Amino acid sequence: MHSSFTRLQNVFGFFTTVAFVLGAFIAATDLGSARTPSGVIKTDNIQVVKGRPHYYSSKKEEYAIIRFSLEADLSSLFTWNTKQLFVYVTADWTSPGGTNNSAVIWDSIITNPSADHLQNLGPVAMKKLKKSAEGKSIAPERGLLKLKNQKPKYQITHPSGKIAETADVTLKLHYNVQPWVGVLTWNMDKPLGVWNAMRGGVSDLFTLPALKSKDGKGKDTKDKSSTKSKKSKKP
Amino acid sequence: MFSGLQNPRNIAAQIMNFGLVLSTAFMMWKGLSIVADSPSPIVVVLSGSMEPAFQRGDLLLLWNRELFTETSVGDIVVYNVKDKEIPIVHRVVRKFGHGDKARLLTKGDNNVADDTELYARGQDYLERSDIVGSVVAYVPFVGYVTILLSEYPWLKTAMLGIMGLMVVLQRE
Repeated sequence: MHSSFTRLQNVFGFFTTVAFVLGAFIAATDLGSARTPSGVIKTDNIQVVKGRPHYYSSKKEEYAIIRFSLEADLSSLFTWNTKQLFVYVTADWTSPGGTNNSAVIWDSIITNPSADHLQNLGPVAMKKLKKSAEGKSIAPERGLLKLKNQKPKYQITHPSGKIAETADVTLKLHYNVQPWVGVLTWNMDKPLGVWNAMRGGVSDLFTLPALKSKDGKGKDTKDKSSTKSKKSKKP
Repeated sequence: MFSGLQNPRNIAAQIMNFGLVLSTAFMMWKGLSIVADSPSPIVVVLSGSMEPAFQRGDLLLLWNRELFTETSVGDIVVYNVKDKEIPIVHRVVRKFGHGDKARLLTKGDNNVADDTELYARGQDYLERSDIVGSVVAYVPFVGYVTILLSEYPWLKTAMLGIMGLMVVLQRE
């Protein structure tokens, strides 16, 4: 009846029960902390070029490079159960046939200091990151984003190979909260309890420009982005 | 300890008990599978391509029903590629069109390039039917046992053997 095996079994059973209840409790605390994300996003310089968007692209196609400015306050998303915040900006548009398209143009992984050591960084960058929040396990200030004339990480394409002069495109700010344990959450269209929907976070409608000819491409880009960045500094 | 073996009725009861444990586990798994509409509603992360969100050995709970919204950009999905055995957990970064015919492109957060290279030859996009489920919940580290079991196959035999022996020999 009381063999060492049953004792071991009981201890292990009790351990898993406690761990499970504790995990469920931690996950449930997310519902109690208010979320008030907000953001302002607008486009800067936009270009459409024909070429190979990646080194492994097999064919030449049109792709759009959308520079943008973003000012966001996502600090309320950082709690003790936040492992990382994945912030991403999508370009959304509707094709002439009425089909919806959506593509990520920029993303960023923002870890809570408790997860800094898991980031894939070089030793120098890692040291800097760890130092930026020394002694803290939660760093809400990392949720304050301020980007000006930001270059996109990904150029957008369309399976048809054509994207120039697409009308009614919007940029949209999204986030995904990765918890240490529990349910993953994304930005919501409607509020839920103390979690508010994103305030702002959508750009005005814009139209992609016509295809840029290769001659004078570099010069033009430089001129445009410099004037644009000057403009964006004005309130 | 072996006194139980003297009574055939006892042995039969123990074997039944062992069978019950196994079938309960199997039924719970399949039940969850039906609720989530996914062939494998719980998966263990095998690679570091979604770090720092997911590490090797973390447990993911999947959901494959599109009750309120379609699978869309930003969702983390588990998908299968033709002729490749191991399912992949990555994030959807592009979606063209909607419904079953939507073309989806995925990328691991920790990878530099998107998944075009991982897909089958000649395949540029995923379809909804390639997806096994979207990640809805996360439990760290618990699945590491299965990684150990698959990397050291003798552990599996040893564990099954010990478990079977213990259940059969256990006296109430």
